[in-house]
This record gives sequence, C-alpha cells and structure tokens, in this order.
Amino acid sequence: MKNFFRKVAFGIGPNEEVPSDPLAWALNQLDDVPDLTWKGKIPSRKEMIEIHARKTRIEEKKVRKKYKNDKKLLKIGIERLEDETGQGFWPALELSIRHTEAMHSTSPVLAKLWFFWANHFAIVEGGYRAQFYTGPYEREIIRPNLNQSFEKLVYDVTISSAMIHSLNNSENIGPKSKSAKNKKRTINENHARELLELHTVSPASGYTQEDITQLAYVMTGWRLGWSKSAKDTMPVEFDKDYHQPGKKTVFGKTYKSGKKGLVNVIKDLVNHPNCRDFIATKLCRYLITDNPTEEMKRPIIKAFKDSDGFLPEIHKAAIRVAFEYNDQYQKFQNPENWFLQMAKLADFSWPPSPTIMDLYEVGKKPQLVHKRPLHTLKGLGHFPYGSKQPNGFSDFEVDWTSPELLIRRLVYAKDFFEFTKSKNNNFKFYKNIVKKNFDNPERIIKYLEKANKHYEAQILLFNHPEFLRA
Amino acid sequence: MKISRRDFLKGTATTLFLAGFNLPAIASSSKKKNLVVIMLRGGMDGLCAVPVIGDKNFEKRRKNILIENTIKLNSDFALHPKLKAFNECWNENTGSIVHATSIPYTQRSHFEGQNLMESGGRVAYQEKTGWVGRAMNLAKLQGDGLALSLPMPLLLRGIPKNNNYFPADGRLPRKETLDLLKSVYADSSEDELLEMMDFIKKRKDEQMMGGTSVRGKRKNRNLAKQAAVYLRKSDGPRVAVFEVNGFDTHAAQGGVDGTHTKCLVEMDDIIKNLKENLKEAYKDTIILTVTEFGRTIKQNGGNGTEHGYGTAIFMAGGLLKKSQVHTDWPGLKRKEMYEGRDLNATIDARSVYASAMSTVFDLDFKRIQKDVFWGEDLQNLSDKLFKA
Repeated sequence: MKNFFRKVAFGIGPNEEVPSDPLAWALNQLDDVPDLTWKGKIPSRKEMIEIHARKTRIEEKKVRKKYKNDKKLLKIGIERLEDETGQGFWPALELSIRHTEAMHSTSPVLAKLWFFWANHFAIVEGGYRAQFYTGPYEREIIRPNLNQSFEKLVYDVTISSAMIHSLNNSENIGPKSKSAKNKKRTINENHARELLELHTVSPASGYTQEDITQLAYVMTGWRLGWSKSAKDTMPVEFDKDYHQPGKKTVFGKTYKSGKKGLVNVIKDLVNHPNCRDFIATKLCRYLITDNPTEEMKRPIIKAFKDSDGFLPEIHKAAIRVAFEYNDQYQKFQNPENWFLQMAKLADFSWPPSPTIMDLYEVGKKPQLVHKRPLHTLKGLGHFPYGSKQPNGFSDFEVDWTSPELLIRRLVYAKDFFEFTKSKNNNFKFYKNIVKKNFDNPERIIKYLEKANKHYEAQILLFNHPEFLRA
Repeated sequence: MKISRRDFLKGTATTLFLAGFNLPAIASSSKKKNLVVIMLRGGMDGLCAVPVIGDKNFEKRRKNILIENTIKLNSDFALHPKLKAFNECWNENTGSIVHATSIPYTQRSHFEGQNLMESGGRVAYQEKTGWVGRAMNLAKLQGDGLALSLPMPLLLRGIPKNNNYFPADGRLPRKETLDLLKSVYADSSEDELLEMMDFIKKRKDEQMMGGTSVRGKRKNRNLAKQAAVYLRKSDGPRVAVFEVNGFDTHAAQGGVDGTHTKCLVEMDDIIKNLKENLKEAYKDTIILTVTEFGRTIKQNGGNGTEHGYGTAIFMAGGLLKKSQVHTDWPGLKRKEMYEGRDLNATIDARSVYASAMSTVFDLDFKRIQKDVFWGEDLQNLSDKLFKA
C-alpha cells in the first residue's frame, strides 16, 4: 500500500509522518491551488518576455553587426550574450520552483498532476522557448487552472503565447481575410491538428482532413501581437484582419465567423465523448499502467461528465482509481519522477536554495551551481521543457526502460550522494526511509545491509526494483 | 520529366521471376553486414531534398522556398546542394534515392505516422514491436541492436537484449556494487533489468563519456563516430538506429539555409561520420532513412509546408547496387497528386525496407514479407537496389 505515496506523489520524507489515511491525504490536496512554495524571486511571464526580447531584438543584433566579418568572434559574442541574459539560469530556476512543489510543498499530489498537464500541453523545445517561456507558461497558464474546468484550461492554453508560437498559429491566416487581399496567404494547420489530436478528442474521434482545415479557419486571427522591437514576443491577440470570414463546420457543427468561434468550438470539443475517454486513458496511463482498462477509466469519465469537466473532480476520481488498483499495478517511474522520489526520500539539499538562486543578476554569467538543475535533468534524458515534439514525453514505461536509462540511475544515485546531509549518513537513516515507504521493508533492508559504504546503500536502494516502480 | 510510368514497369517485371521460395532462413555468410536506420522525425520533405527538375507546377507552388544551385543527379532529379556527404556517396556509386514513396499512411498525423513508420503496420498504436526488431528476431540476431537515442525506439523492439548508447555524464559505480544489484535483480526475477545490467557491465567509463570532449558528445555526428566503431567490430552490433528531429517545418522552412536544410545536413553528417569511421565495413553496410510522411507541394502562409504523403528515402553504403533514383514518378499535376495536394506514393516504403533487410540479414524476402510485414503485398526490390 505504501507505494501509493510514490505512485501519486513523491514518497514520504524522513521527517514526515506516514499519513494514516493515504486516500484522504491525497484527495485533500486537490481542491485548492495554493501559492507556490518557492521563497525566492519568481519572474513573471511578462518579465521573461521582456528579457528575451531585449536579447534577441536588440543585443543580438548589435553583436551580429559588430562581428559580422569574424565567425569565431561572433560565436564567442553570442555565447557571452547567452550567459549575460541568463539562458542557462532561467530554466534551472524554473526547475527549482517545480521541484520545490514536488519535494517541499504541502500538496505534492497536485504537483504530480501539474507535471501531467504540463506534459499533456507540451511546448516544443524550439530554440529559446525552453529557456525563457515554458517554465513561466506552466506556472501561469496551467497551474492556476488546476481547480478550474478542463474547458477553461484548454482555452487558456490554446491562446497562450507559448502554444500559439510553438504550433505556428501566427502563420495561420485566412486566405480570404483582409490581410490576404494584397499578398497571397493561407492557413497553417499545425495548431488546429494538435488541438484535436493531442489536446482534446484524439484521433479515435474520427475527424477528417476537412475538420482540421475548418478548425484551422476558426483559429485564424489568433496570433502574437507585433511591434518592431519585440516582434514575436508580444501577447496573443485576436486580429480580425487575419481571420477567415464566413461560417466554418467542425464535426458537422457550424460556427460563425469571428473571435467567439474558438471558445465555442473548444466547448464542443471538450464535451465530445472521445475527449473524456482520452483524458481518462492518459491519466490512468500516467498513474497506473501503460494499458488502462475500461473499468479503470469508467469512474474518471463519469466524474468528467457529471462535473462538467471540473478538474478537481476529475483528479479525485483518478486518484481514487489509482488507490483502488495500487496493489495490482506498479509502474516503472519516468526519470524526473524517479529523481524527485530519490531526492525526497534521501532528504537531499535539493533544489538549490532560493538564497543561491537569487544571487544571480541579469547581465552576469550564471555560476555552475545556478545551472545544476538544468544539467541534471538534461543528463537524465528528461528535461521537462525540452520536449522535441508537441506530444511531450512518453508515459509508456517501455520507453523508459533501456540500458542507457538504467546507467543514468546508477550514476545519479551515486553522484547525488554529495547532496545528502551528513547527519543522514548512517544505515539507520536508510532503514527509516525504507520503513516509511515500503510494505515489506525487511526484504529491501536485507540487501542494503550488504553495502559497505553509505553511498553504496543509496545506489542499491534507489535502483531496487521496488523503488524503480510505484 | 522524361521518365514514364511504362518504362518503370518494364524494369520491374523481372523481380517477380526472381522472388525466391523456401530458401533457408540464414544463408551462410562469412561477412558481417550492417544496417543503419536514420529516423527523420517531423515529416521529411522529399521535394526539398531531391527536387524534380523542370516541372513548372512544382516551381510555381514553391516560389519562396525553392532550393537554388541544386546538384543535378540525372535528367529528372537534383540534389539539395548542402548534402555534400551524400553527394560523395552518389559519385562513388554508393548513394541511392527512392522517390515518391511512403509508408501506407495518409492521415497526416505525426504521432500516428511515426508509430507506423517504426511498427511497419497499418493501424496506429496496434503493434508493440518494430519492423527491424521483428526481422532481427527472424534472423536470430539477439543482442545486435544499438539505438543511438533515448529512449529505446519502437523500431528495434521485438527482439530482446537491444542496447542503446547515448553518453551520460559521470562514472558508473564500482563493480562490486553492480554485482550486488545484479543479485537483487536475479533474486526478484527481474529479467529485463538483469539483461540491462549485463550490457552496462560491459561498458567502460570512457565509452560512457563518448570518447570525446564533454561538449557535443550527444550530438548525432559524434554518436555516428562511436556507432561506426561498434559496427565495424566483428562481434559488434549489426543494426544501429539514429533519429533526427525537427523536420516539421510549418513555418519558415526556408530555402537553402532554412530549418529544413539544417535537419537534412544533420542527416548528411551522420552519413559522413559513419562512412569515414566504418572504414572497410562501409562496403558491407546499408544506411537508409525513414520518415512518417512528406510535405505538401504548395508552400503555406508562413513560407513553410504542411503535412503531406509521398516523400523520398535516402540510402548509402557499399551494399547498394549502384547510384540511382529509383521511382515510379506519379507527376505533380493536380489530378496526379494525392488529394490534390501531396506528392503521391507509388512505392510502398516497406518494400524497400524488406528488400534491404533481406540483403543485410541474409533472409529470404518472402519470409520477411510474411513474418515481419504480415504477408502484405510488397515488391521485392533486392536485385534492383542492392547487391546480392
């Protein structure tokens, strides 16, 4: 039963009580979205956009002009600019904020679901997005919506600058729009297709190429604002000059021309039966097993329907199902979840403290310690803002089981011994965390006793089959 | 366009005659032959990489993103000028292209398409194994697959004990620790973890670091160098799989210096580094590409292209019969295109893959057709494309 604490969260730390009622403990975390636990500075999306715009639109141009005849100097100049604008620092700061929610907040279950939705609505890495935008997008667009409806979440994500940019909707232009009068312009289907396939109804709903094209028409006009100095870094707005006039038909339903089309079509998409099924499947897959059964999905689908897609109710249903099937299914954990569970159980000094992170000033080169979370997650092969494709990272355990990925777990369990606290470097400590987190602690302790160094006990515990799964 | 459909069909008649029956599964072969698959994710634009020459329909529809200064391959097709390594292969008679081809998938979704390009099937997410994995299983090549990526691609699944290589930072724990852990896995019947541990124990620390400076060790060109070192060993792996991301250029696909070009150059770099480092073993190797679909003929609103259908396959290596563009060209007039928008596919890409594997794994084509591709209607192109 105790693996439930890792299945829906990140385990029980050495100084925490084991909750007497695990299900109630989990369900109680899902009604509210508390403030972030991170005590350091948290930049707003707007600030990040400004920092990024200043870099790409002003400073980089200067550097390119200055060194235009010397490739080597240009490379050095660009690298220095990247350091000075904190390119390696910002994602590390975002990871610190994220990991603090998982390890040190009072709502780790909510954090785990936050990670799920952030991955469901993944932003493609694409150049600087991972560095400047994705973390703030996950904090400001996704997280505050976790106690709202799925419909609102989808709408806010769809018109967020991160997603509009990631899926090229600024280039999605009505061929009969005003802006296409003098210059030949047409639609870009990318965002429309993924809104159907990845975000809402999935291919199982049987949409056609014509549905995609029509939805793309509905979405024309939603684009990043434009100014000469900040170009593609402005907030998203609906510009009717780019909108395809006339009615559009998606899934047999007609939508009027204009700004309201998008909100209306999203309302219908999230109420499509395939959408409920798709979300239930993905939640079960994330928490329970690669191949969810109909019985598993049913209560989640019902909660979705009964509550009109209210996310706290959907989440509670999913957690209940995870609890019900807890002893029957154990799932191989993805690298970031594995790392966070290790960090939490072993009481690592992780992530870097707010004091350290706040020492960074824009214009200075970040220190190695400032970039450590970034290097760590990249090294693990699971940098959450570095999705190569809009479908995010895989939730199938088979994708996370291979020699290279086991190597990483061996190496990290060893190397992160430097993050343990000296007071914990004794076998009593390891026995204590095993007892708190496993139903048959003796089975594991028996092996740990064979270790002759503390760091060896750490490698054995965090690569033990029972720890690799939850 | 001088090539006609009839010419092509005349050429293929012989293949029916040559198709073997009930040959032994593994012919005795002294040489170790290698297969390298490069997965081009996002939808590779076959007409950006290998444009057709002198087609007004094509040029008109791609005004802003047309590639200039292409290298003429024959009277009908040219090569993207940045594909220097491939061009070298072509000039040495070890580079080929199959054009107007695709996996049999027309729905234009990346994720379904990529799933199918790896599984080789027709229904997305239905198959849990890949076509390379199944063929390796047929050829009893357990422990011979190497993925140069994380995670293990579906393409290689279907045979146990594949390895992957994607250098990590840091060093492995000492041998005693690994042995202890191995005993834990053995005691709890964790066969899969046990197998992985066997691979890991063979790996040396300098290999973990990629045998190169820390910077760029996980870049494809460096992975290609390392893969070539493994592949050319007589007891090394026989199959390597790479992936190149980013072909999905809906916006700013660009011309000769655009995003699509950048991805093509990454592919070209893999070929270059494999060829240089495989040395003698290059002549016993087939390198080939797969992608989920091609891209629309017409450029879109943002000087990019949309998801399409027909595309091209690049092949290199000493096991190729000769340099050629093998195609049954469907034409680019509106009625000749797929749904009026995409290059049509007249050759099932799986025919090419089945023929390549028949050559590399010394397996009878019909067995591959039957056991790897469920007896689907594929053409044996072995004698046209590859050396016997």
